[in-house]
Order: sequence, then structure tokens, then C-alpha cells
Amino acid sequence: MYTFRPICDRIERMRVKVRDRLIVADSEKEQIKMEASQRYHDYPPMLQKPYISLEVISRMPIDIVEDEYFVGDMGNRGWGASGGLFWLTVDIENTWPIEEDGLHHAPDDDPFYSHQKLAISPEELKKLRKIEAQKRAVYGEIRPLEWIPDGAQEFFDLQASDYGKIGGFPLTLPPGHLTPGFQNILRRGYADIRKQAQDWLDEHEGNVQGNNMGKFLFYKAATVACDGAIKLTRRYADLAREKAAAEKNAERKAELEEMAESLDHIALYPARTFREACQQVMLYNVFLKVDNDPGVTSMGRFDQYTWPYLKKDLEDGRITMEKAQELVDAFFLKINTFYGGGFGKPTQTAGIGHLGQHTTIGGVIPETGEDATNPVSFMVLEAVARLELHEPTISLRIHKNSPKEIWDCAMVTSMRVGGLPLLQNDEVIIPALISELGFELEDARNFAVIGCQEITGSGCDYPAPNGSSMSHSGIYWAIALLMTINNGTNPINGARLPEKLRFGYLSDMKTMDELRENYEKVCTWMLTWSATLNNYTEHEYPRLFPYPNLSISTTGCMESGKDVSEGGAKYNSYGGTATGLATTADSLTAIKYMVYDKKIVTGEELLKAVLADWEGYEPLRQQILNEVPHFGNADPYADCEMKYMMDLYYGISRAFSNERCKVYKCGTFGASDHVVQGEITWATPDGRKTGTPIADAASPAQGRDISGTTSVFTSATTYDHSHFMDGMALNLKIHPTALSNEQGITKLEDMTKAYFDMGGMEVQYNIVDAATLKKAQEHPENYHNLVVRIAGFSAYFVDMTTAMQNDVISRAEHTF
Amino acid sequence: MQKNNITALIYDIQGFSVQDGPGVRTTVFLKGCPLRCPWCHSPESQRFDRELNWMSIRCIGLDTCGMCLDVCPNGCIKAGEVTQNAAGDDIRYPEVDKTNCDECGKCAAACKATALYMCGDEVTIDDVMYRIKRDKPFFEDSGGGVTVSGGECLAQPEFTLELIKSCKELDINVAIDTTGFVKYDVIKSVMPYTDMFLYDLKCMDSDLHKQVIGVPNELILENAKRIAEAGGKLWIRIPVMPMYNDSEEHFKLYGEFLSEIKDAVIMVQLLPYHKMGLSKYARLLTNKQVFTAEPPSDALMDARKAQLEAMGLPVRIH
Repeated sequence: MYTFRPICDRIERMRVKVRDRLIVADSEKEQIKMEASQRYHDYPPMLQKPYISLEVISRMPIDIVEDEYFVGDMGNRGWGASGGLFWLTVDIENTWPIEEDGLHHAPDDDPFYSHQKLAISPEELKKLRKIEAQKRAVYGEIRPLEWIPDGAQEFFDLQASDYGKIGGFPLTLPPGHLTPGFQNILRRGYADIRKQAQDWLDEHEGNVQGNNMGKFLFYKAATVACDGAIKLTRRYADLAREKAAAEKNAERKAELEEMAESLDHIALYPARTFREACQQVMLYNVFLKVDNDPGVTSMGRFDQYTWPYLKKDLEDGRITMEKAQELVDAFFLKINTFYGGGFGKPTQTAGIGHLGQHTTIGGVIPETGEDATNPVSFMVLEAVARLELHEPTISLRIHKNSPKEIWDCAMVTSMRVGGLPLLQNDEVIIPALISELGFELEDARNFAVIGCQEITGSGCDYPAPNGSSMSHSGIYWAIALLMTINNGTNPINGARLPEKLRFGYLSDMKTMDELRENYEKVCTWMLTWSATLNNYTEHEYPRLFPYPNLSISTTGCMESGKDVSEGGAKYNSYGGTATGLATTADSLTAIKYMVYDKKIVTGEELLKAVLADWEGYEPLRQQILNEVPHFGNADPYADCEMKYMMDLYYGISRAFSNERCKVYKCGTFGASDHVVQGEITWATPDGRKTGTPIADAASPAQGRDISGTTSVFTSATTYDHSHFMDGMALNLKIHPTALSNEQGITKLEDMTKAYFDMGGMEVQYNIVDAATLKKAQEHPENYHNLVVRIAGFSAYFVDMTTAMQNDVISRAEHTF
Repeated sequence: MQKNNITALIYDIQGFSVQDGPGVRTTVFLKGCPLRCPWCHSPESQRFDRELNWMSIRCIGLDTCGMCLDVCPNGCIKAGEVTQNAAGDDIRYPEVDKTNCDECGKCAAACKATALYMCGDEVTIDDVMYRIKRDKPFFEDSGGGVTVSGGECLAQPEFTLELIKSCKELDINVAIDTTGFVKYDVIKSVMPYTDMFLYDLKCMDSDLHKQVIGVPNELILENAKRIAEAGGKLWIRIPVMPMYNDSEEHFKLYGEFLSEIKDAVIMVQLLPYHKMGLSKYARLLTNKQVFTAEPPSDALMDARKAQLEAMGLPVRIH
């Protein structure tokens, strides 16, 4: 079994500091931002953004904390809390008590902030409120109602899509959800990139003709962006020198002096060592977040772009493997500190502590297609497993020649931190990037995973995987089905589809085919609206969100003189996702079985039961739960409905495009959106009750897969995964007792390989811990599939007596 | 075509079975066993017929449903008093008295929540092979295959034989999980289609074996030797029971016996007693006294493992 390295003392100290940190918001950066925004208000949008960043960077407070290995913070007086204005959505004055330290503290018992240590002083809170009021006075409402296309309001009012979720048409989704070109920054350095832009400007001084004015603005913006990145790095160099001068401890003094020298170098030139490479990447990441917070910029293939530096350091005897691990630990600890607190629904959807700095390891070498696993791949897993980090999410790319050692390390990591790493199948994804998105082979081999699950190119792609206006940009397929069988009315709010989409009630539909025909019309109308709204914001993107700070690292932009928002990147696409289609598929199966095939109930009765939220119909509901086949049990009767849903979704989306993107990508992930979506979804014909979660991502509905993991895999591969290039999440819970020894781990690996051979794109294992088992005790309905295995014995956890469950829980606590 | 008419009574088929032999396996559990081990963790596997089971956690209560009350032809089901379920809510369960129950299954058919359910499905070879074929991709990388288990699978010898023949036609690795308490002829008949026997050795002292399990062990030991002589492979399983077979002296006897047939032994799997099976007894609706003991310590398990390893045997725990 893979064994982890020990954690060194300094890292342990840092870990405690990071984990226990109090996130305190202040107003300073927001004040600077507002002043800069006012100063550059009348600049062309392309120049406005980098000039604002440059000014913020020049003035924002910075610090280097004791013990820190790397510099770079979000521009406030402590770690985190950068998005201070975001805090103002909460009534802090009246709901957060002031404690002894004189600060308002987030109450422990509020589920929205639980486990977050957030605080703010009354004075800073007042200042932030003032800034918000001033901004509003100057800029007015940032969600202009007048912009909404005609007819869209009716679509929003259904509350059956991500647009309806917040009741409007946001233009606030920041650009991001992509993999910046870290390797381009490392390879070239800012001086070289800046020179390229400046050369073009010099050549065209006083003579910009034809279509070149856009280029002129872009290259000018690129020089300002480079100046910003250089300024940020140099400010830290100066601070390191200052700190070194005052430092008493000789060792730390020397380290700070070295840091200063390093920072001076990487402010302009490519990194020379592993440590410099990590630092340069870290600072570019911070730089991207300055005017684009939270931004969701992922870390890309960290093991690939840093390994050449470490390899050389090792060859030259400059570093040991232990020291390298220490630096990787420090790097991932540090990026956790960028988290600035989370509030309300977005936190519920994305998860507390989540910044989307998804990191990809493993996979193949772009040029040769050979296995790319290297020592840094292991170091990344070591860091997340040993330090039990919240962030980042790790994807391990798996292919036919992935070595056994990285599999083992991944499985043991899953046992330490549930659900990590996500296993991504190169054998499906690489060919699909070529066939679906037109990637060249080397770029396809270099893909990285971002945010929740989305598949992107590495620094050559502007993927907009969540669309450009509303995160996830999906429609709610289960509500669409309810409206289809309920004469166009959404039972939860009474909102109605337009006249042309009201097809009567379930009882009016004489055959399953008639029901399908109606359903397809409703879904096509809804998803097309969603894409149209995306196209609308996409059209406005170059004006609203030009992003030269990102474009300087993105392959294609510097060559073409076009910003990423204008389609400058080598690859362009957009997309969205649909979480929990299993709930809809199972609902279709239930209708097919109960009404049309077996004629156990009439359509009228079934709809009545659904509309009653099953009140008074519990035996009927039980019959549906126990007798009707469900997706996830390798039963073709149920699985074909999942395939139907997947094909329908993919088929409708083929018609979508806009100026920047020719391809729309479908996805089957959704973070915790299935919970949020479930809250506004009425009872469904599969036996689900109103307000409870729908199925999670691409997984079977909770507790409905009762035939074991191999059956889930068989069911999951009944549809073509290569159609879901926005990404997929199949989340499986495995009890630790199945993996109590080396053989168990190897068997899980072998089973995964078989699933990947069958065309599976992705899977993640939750090798559940005692805490989850306790939840299973409280909510057995969601954990029907949880099997406890102890040497030949097996039973469903929820079917055991409480005393026995406690016994298993205590075992789990023993094992892990 | 004839083989398709053979049926068996099974109580489960399990995919991703990781502790019943090498690799990822699909295990078919046949119902019915000639032995009565007091610690049996699958008591529903013992009887050779379908039997009514009860799982209170699934019941939605008589006031919501009550469909089981009127269907019993023998009057076994009566309404119980109001009590509380696991979540602490008031609920009235049916009271089932199995004294006059003839296992007709009418109540189970009426129970939509499957709180009352019949344990035991009559299946054909085709039924089982359908599932096995589906799981076949998972066997290949891992060196896994099919394990036929029980109960005692060789107590339904015709079915087991036809099933493993069908597996072999598809080149699937086959393990037979047996108590060894069957006529050698039966073992001989399955041998050509069996890659290994998962073979239980519950106790080396025949008197104690008879006293506790109900039958002596001579036949079991004899069969093990004959399998070894005939070139069969044995994956020995020893349930380690406190106060029964866990002493150093007893393991000396195990070691001596296994040394005699060493060439045939590919693994000795020590299975420490656990209490997980206790919750299954309540489902059978019997009032029988259930055996219980404290599980052996990790230290004891390690010591027994070391003891057998010192005699040159391959040993694993779990």
C-alpha cells in the first residue's frame, strides 16, 4: 500500500495557521478599486480593465507572513476576504454578534457560514456599505432590466432554469472557468511578452489602418497588463528586502534575501528554478484575480509545467525530494488562503472553501503520447492527502499506460480525503477533444480540468464552460417534464409555459411516444432560450469583460492581437451542464412502467399523486420505488431512458452557436447544484418528494442503485460520454471495509480500468468515512446503496440495526 | 436446451465482490446449507426454501398502508401497538407470528415497501448467466471471475455444475465456495470446471465440530485431501472464533493438516469473527437465541497469521 511522507514542522505550523485563520474583511482594496474605476471610467473598455488592475496593484496592501515560502495575496490586510463587497449581501449589523475582539463574527449555527471563521469590524463594515452606496450612485443597477430580450422574462418566471434561480438576467459572471497559460508565462517571462506587444505598437505608431485599430487597443492593453504583473512581483521583491533587513533570525533573513532576488528576476524573466516556477505561477494566479474575483482560474497541469525545473534542480544538486515536497505543500496551502468567505446560495452550490483552482496531474506527454506521470504528480496527491486540504480539487488523468504506483497513491488519497482525486479517462477525452471541438492532437493531449469538472485546453482555450451569463447555464429537466404532463404549469409556483407548449395533462397523452414528443418540444424551447441568452451576453463580452491580463498568457491572443473575449484564443467554445438527469430518466421509466406498459395506474391517478406530493399515496410511491426499475442497476428498461435524456440534451444543443463559438458543449456535472435545484423542484414521478435533492450529476438517483458498483458502470456507459465535453461527474460511495487491504485497492483499480475500457469518461470515489455513515444513519433514504463489506459478509448499511451501524461506524473510525 | 430447465434457489448475486477469491468477482449465493454454524453471518442462507423476512426500517406503518393485514390465509399478521421508528416518529408495525406461516408469500406480495419480503429467488442458468455476462468486462483486468457460494452451493449440485460449465464456455475463472460437507462424487463432478475451491475449515477437533455445528469434520478433511490429491487448488478459509478454534494449540493442528496438503493450498484466509450478522437474525422472525462473542483482537489475528506463515503457508487476514 502507498505510504505518505511525513510532514515537516514548518509545514505543520503553516497548516494550523491556514486552517485556523480568521478571515477578516476590510475596505481598503475596495476603496482603491472604486477610485481606480472612477479614474478610468471613460477609457475604452479594453484599456480600462488593465489600467484599473495596475492602479489597484500599485496601492493595495501587501504582506509576507512569518514562515511563508511564497508571496502573493488578494490585496487586503490579512489572508482572504478579498471580495469584501460580497459580504454586504448579509445583514451583518443585525445578525453577526460583536465579540470580545470588537469584531462582528459569523454565527456558528447558520448553515450558510458554518465552518467558516469570518469577521469584520463595525468601522470597516460601515466603510464597505458606503463604497457600495457610492458605486450604486455612480453606476446604477448592474442588472439592467431594459436589456432583457423580449419574451425572456416569461422564461425566467418559470424558475425552471439557472436564469430563473435568481429571477433575472445577470451580466456579472466574471470571465474565468479556464486554464490560464501558466506554461507560456514560465517559458517567456513578462518582459518578452511585453516586447512583442510594444514592437507591434512601435511599428504602427501613427499608422493604424483597416481592421488594425482593435489590435492597437489590444496590444496597448497587453503592455499595461504586463506592467501590472511586473509591478505586483516587484512590490513583493521590495517587501521581501525590507523584511530581510529587519529579520533577526539569520536563516530566515537569508531566505527573504533570496526571495527578493528571485522576485526581481521573475518580474521580467522566465523562472530558473522549481521554487521560482512555483512563485511565478502563484503570482500570475493572484494577478488574474485582482480585477476578476473569484474568477475560477484553475492551476492546470501543475506537475507538467513545474517538473522540468525540479528535474534540473535535482540534477544540479540544488534541491532534495524532501525539500521539493515541502515547497509543493507550501504552494497548495498558500492557494487555500485566497478563499475569502462564501455566502448564501453560491456557497451552497459550489461548496464552502471552494475556489475552483482545480489542479490536473498525470496523463500523457503532448508531443509523444507517452505517460507523463512524474515525481510532482505524487507530490500533489501527497499535499492534498496529508494536509487534508479543502482546495484544490485534483483530477488525475488516467490512460492505458498509467503506472500502478500513481493508481495506488490515488486510491489511498481517496481514503484520506473523500472523492479526490477525480479520475479522468484520457482514452475518451483526447479523441473527443479532436472530434467534437476540433483540437489538434498535441493540444488535446495537453487538456486540463477546471472548476467543478469542466474540460479545457491548457492556456490555448477560452472555453466558457458555464456559459457567459449564468453559472451552469442549464435548464431544469425534471421541471420541464412536470410542466409537460401538467398542461404547461410548474406545480411549485403556478408559472406557465406559453400557449403553444401546453399539451394537456398526462392522461391526455395516449402513448409514451406522444409524451416524448411533447416533452422534446418543451425542452427544445427552454434550452434554446438559455443558449440565446448566453449568445446575448457573449456578444457583449468584449465590451463588458475584456481580459487582457489573461490574454497575455493565452496561445492565439498575442499572435492575433485579439483579446480572449473577442475570440483571440486558439480554441473557442461555450457550454453548460445538466445535473441529475437520472431523476428525469427514472420519472420517465416510472410513467412508462406504471401507466403505459403495466397499466397499474392511470395517467390521471399518477399525476394526482405527484401533485399531492405523494400525500395519501405512500403505498403507490413505495411500489414505484421498489418495483419499477431504476437507472444504475444495469437494467436496460431503465437505462434506455437515461440514454434518451442524454441524447435529447446533446441533440438539441447541436443547433447552438454565436460569433465567438461554433460549438456548444454539454456537461453532466453540477457541484452541489442538485440540492439547490431540488429545493425548487416539485415531487417527481420517480417517487421523489418536493424539495428533496434531485440526482447528483451523472450518478444514479440517491439510494436507487442497489445492484453494486459494476452495475452502475454498466448503466453509466449506455450513452456516449464523448458527447459531454463540458465534463462529467459520476460520484460513487465505497465503504472503507471494501478496501481494508492491498487486494481491495487493486480490485477497485481494476474495476475502474474495466469501466474506462467500456467508454467511461470520469469517476470519483467517496470511500466513506464515519461522518458520512452517521449521516446515513440519520437519512437512510439517501444511502440505500451503501454496502458494508467485511470478508465475505455484506449488508446494506441502512438495513442494519442502529447498534450494528454504530459498530460499523466505530470500525470506520478505527480504520481511517 | 435441457440445462435451461434447471433452477436453483438463490438469495443474492453480488458484483464487485472483493473478498471471495482473487480479483473482482461476481458471487452467486445459493440458498440452503447442511451445517448450522452458530456464528453464521448469513442466517437467511440456511434453509432450502423461500422464507418470509421482515425489515422494520422499510415499513411505512399500518396507518399509512396496512396492506399486509388482511392477506394472510393463516392469520399470522396482526396490528401491533404504536411504537417509534429509528427516526423517533410514531409508527404501528404489523406483528408477525410465524408459528402457522407456510411461507406462501401473500403478505410479501402485498407489501409495496418490501418490509415484508420473501428471501430466495428461483432462477434459471440463463438468469444468472445474463448477470455474469454483464459483469464479465470487470473480471478480465483483475484476474477475477465468478464465485459460486451459499449456503452450500454443492447441495444444489446439478445447477452449480451447469452454471460453472456455462462460465467455462466463456472462459471465466470459477471458484466454488464450499463447506466441504458433501459427497466426494459431487466435488469430483465439478472439479474439471473449477479453478479453485474456497474451502472452509471451521474446526480441527471432530467432537467439538459435531457438538457446535451439528456434524463431525472427517468428511470435510477427507474431501480436502482428495481435492489436493486430484490436483485441485484450495483457498482455505478459517473463521477465527473466540474460545473455539483460536488457540495456539488449535492452530498447530490447522498448520499440521495444511502442511500435508501444502502444494494444493494457494491461500489461507483468516476471517476474524464479527457481529455484523446479528442484525440479520431479527429479520427471520424467529425467537431463537443468537450466538454472540467478542471479536478476536488484532494482536491475536496477527499471531495466528504468523504461526501459520512460520509453517510456510501463504496467509492473509480478511
